[in-house]
Amino acid sequence: MATITLPQAVPDMLSGTVSRWLKQVGDAVRKGEAIAEVEIEQAFIRIEAGADATLAKIYAPVGTTVEVGGALGELAPSGQAVSQPAVSKGEKPAAVAEPSGNVVPILMPQAGNSMEEGTILEWKVAEGETITEGQIICEIETDKATMEYESPHGGRLARIVVGKDETVAVKAPIALLAESDAEADAYLATLGGELPTIAPAPASEPTATTSRSRPVASAVTAGGRVKASPYAKKLAAERGVELAAVAGGSGPGGRIVAADVVAAKAGGAPAAVSPAGADGVVRRTMSKMRRAIAMNLQASKQTIPHFYLRMTFKADALFNFYRKHKPATGCTVNDVMVLAVAKAMAEMPVVRSQIDGSEIVEYPHANIGIAVGVDDGLVVPVLMGADQMSLAELPAMTKRIVEDARRGKVDNMGRGNFTITNLGMFGVEEFAAIINPPEAAILAVSALREDVIVEDGTMKPARVMTLTLSTDHRIIDGVVGAQFLARLKELLEAPEQLA
Amino acid sequence: MTDHYDIAVVGAGPGGYVAALKAAQMGARTAIIEKHHLGGTCLNYGCIPSKALLASAELVHQMRHAGEWGVSIGGEVSFDWSQIQKRKDKVIRQLRGGVASLLKARKVTLYEGKATLDGPGRIAIELTKGGAASVTADNVILAPGSAPARIPGWPDDGRIVCTSDESVHWPDLPKKLLIVGGGVIGCEFACLTNALGVQVTVVEMLPGLLPGLDQDLGEELMTSFDKRGIACHVGTKVEDLKVSGATVTAVLTGGQKVEVDRVLVATGRRPNTAGLGLETVGIEPGRGGFITVDQYMQTPVKGYYCIGDANGQCLLAHAASAHGVAAVQNILGERKAFTAPIPGAVYTFPEIGSVGLTEQQAREQKLPIAIGRYPIAHLGKAMVTNHTEGFVKMIRHRETGELLGAHMLGHNATECIAAAGALLHQKVSMHDVAETVFAHPTISEAIKEAAEDALGAALHLPPRKIIRHVVGV
Repeated sequence: MATITLPQAVPDMLSGTVSRWLKQVGDAVRKGEAIAEVEIEQAFIRIEAGADATLAKIYAPVGTTVEVGGALGELAPSGQAVSQPAVSKGEKPAAVAEPSGNVVPILMPQAGNSMEEGTILEWKVAEGETITEGQIICEIETDKATMEYESPHGGRLARIVVGKDETVAVKAPIALLAESDAEADAYLATLGGELPTIAPAPASEPTATTSRSRPVASAVTAGGRVKASPYAKKLAAERGVELAAVAGGSGPGGRIVAADVVAAKAGGAPAAVSPAGADGVVRRTMSKMRRAIAMNLQASKQTIPHFYLRMTFKADALFNFYRKHKPATGCTVNDVMVLAVAKAMAEMPVVRSQIDGSEIVEYPHANIGIAVGVDDGLVVPVLMGADQMSLAELPAMTKRIVEDARRGKVDNMGRGNFTITNLGMFGVEEFAAIINPPEAAILAVSALREDVIVEDGTMKPARVMTLTLSTDHRIIDGVVGAQFLARLKELLEAPEQLA
Repeated sequence: MTDHYDIAVVGAGPGGYVAALKAAQMGARTAIIEKHHLGGTCLNYGCIPSKALLASAELVHQMRHAGEWGVSIGGEVSFDWSQIQKRKDKVIRQLRGGVASLLKARKVTLYEGKATLDGPGRIAIELTKGGAASVTADNVILAPGSAPARIPGWPDDGRIVCTSDESVHWPDLPKKLLIVGGGVIGCEFACLTNALGVQVTVVEMLPGLLPGLDQDLGEELMTSFDKRGIACHVGTKVEDLKVSGATVTAVLTGGQKVEVDRVLVATGRRPNTAGLGLETVGIEPGRGGFITVDQYMQTPVKGYYCIGDANGQCLLAHAASAHGVAAVQNILGERKAFTAPIPGAVYTFPEIGSVGLTEQQAREQKLPIAIGRYPIAHLGKAMVTNHTEGFVKMIRHRETGELLGAHMLGHNATECIAAAGALLHQKVSMHDVAETVFAHPTISEAIKEAAEDALGAALHLPPRKIIRHVVGV
């Protein structure tokens, strides 16, 4: 193999930037043919093959600057087989295609580290149309932003696999390009119908962290292009910041400039702050998360008939149980609480149910959301199947999803059927939480505190904890709610059965 | 009785008076204190008088070459230096009057006298007409400006060894002039005096003329100077200077002797920060006597701002004005960092306009750049107007495509650079510049041509050089 390195083409040259690759990895190159073009300060260097060869590797894609002597690529002897090309770095969300025969799948792109799924909002093209590489084919909504997706391939759109308002995981095929529909259908069949889909969320209520609103970005032009200065685009690509998620650029005409990219946390949107008025009043644009929380909670309170049940239980047994098992499992008091809730939920199907139109949907397991406070609001990662976890497993799982959430990755977001929120660490004695749609209930856990209780007519000091259960009275009646809370109290006052 | 103001401005140069007008426009009770003439250095000793003199000199220069345009002037071209001076003085008086009426129209209170800071919020004034006054203010903007540097140990008379303060008001021209310092002021005076028949020698310590600007500009200007008979010595110092009678003998590095009848020292400017009473409010000038400010024009002491030459950021009149506006906006609640690019304009023949990064600065920052150039001589307008000297140079970031810098030597470059400066302020890409339509025939369309060249795609130039490199043999 021969490494293609950048030569010192002129005396005071320091570096060159690749401006074109005239061959792709795997292509045969004939003697004398041009392979690539590199731009230097006042000229271009054309890299030519000195003998017949195959382009085996590209190290420096278009736009990369390489120092003199740096490697651009590799040439292999003519006729040598080379592996499939890796995807070149670029700002467009790139999806890896696995073409089979003549069918090229177009996949749900992963636009951002924390993106796990996307929803097709609208198809801009129809089956049977021929599309070109770079053509905008659909609008995709993620939890962070809405974007127009440019096709990474050109060809005849044979089948749309994921329709309007459907959600799939990233990298799942959303459309197939093929000359004939039969080929496309055959390809679909080979996937065995195992398209990784997510059951669509009930159309009415958005969950705590999804937002159906479009990004504020006035930086997005009518044609969907994000107006950003060249330097801002470069910075955004380097830092993994999605330009479409940067709310409103501070540059001329709403253009996103480098400073906006620097201010935007990866995956978050910077709040535009107006300067403080003379009286110290400051105005800030709502961040996407804050807007989502506001919409969600307002909808919850306006549509769900909340009713509340409060219970204080003796917490000495819980406290001792936690102390006893903490060394071996690393559990917290809240972990034990989660186990108790999960067990009570396993016994009471109504608490695991949700309204969907005129139907009630019952879930087999307890998928418990843990409310986690983050910089600008809160997120709710979900412990799936908490009723099947043991005291040994649950603390580690919880710790992981809470840490992930603090870093911006919300596990199993929106898939819960119950939420627990705990303000005990602030000393709050009692509070009533707002249900997180489309769930049916939420448990508010307050501080483990010492108080005076009355037992058999005498007063004694004891550790107590107050729980407030908010339920959706449309599916959980008073009696059912009370029974649930009573069972929870039983479990917490005798927690050995949870070990 | 002491009057109280929202904002008090010390100095009525282009920084100070603009700040005062802005403050009054935004509704603040404003006072301005000036110990000398309204308009500061720019109006009285700098921009205005020098450009007025240069305008007369340029006309003489062109008239002497009138034949090239097919025009004949019977006999020698002559000029009357005292008339040239009178015209310049008239312009100065008109502009001073203009500034005075603008301040009056906005009801800014003008104190004519020397200001000294007198503790937090207080300014003591020694009135020019005699007596004293004092004002208090919630905020103070310091705009005391700068003065030409003098060389210690050299005669200070202002007749034989002068600075620009004296040279703009010379009652007569020397026969032989030594200009110490090949920066902007030195080069402008070289063109002025050379055009009027003075024998000029320029000595510059650094390796080229116009240090601080893009190197190519200084190099081509020096070539132009050589053609006109302006002797230039770069990388050279004046090691010794002796005045005897009406003659000055200077010894340069390397031993060469130059005999002249006048010397112009143009080696830089020092801020007027001594004797201002800064210590009474806790402001300590930094290196070189400049007052350090942040991008909001604020000094480390709350309520005190410094703009223009005295803060050392950019010693240009338009920078001072922009600083002044920024300082006032920040005081009155619109907190905005000042980050706009500031163009440089040099009124040599031919003129120079420059904005953004120089090639040297880009290389120092290790930025991957592409450089486009377009010679003015290729332009139709240059040929028809017989102004064929110069070039436009455009610098592009190879990876992001951003316009980084624009540098121009050519007729009216000081006007043309405005287009490049406006585009640079908008953080455009070189493609945006190349796609802008410039009128034809103009000199400024060279900006578009050079932009195309920076993309390797100039249509009015031969194709860019392609260097073949063969691999894999």
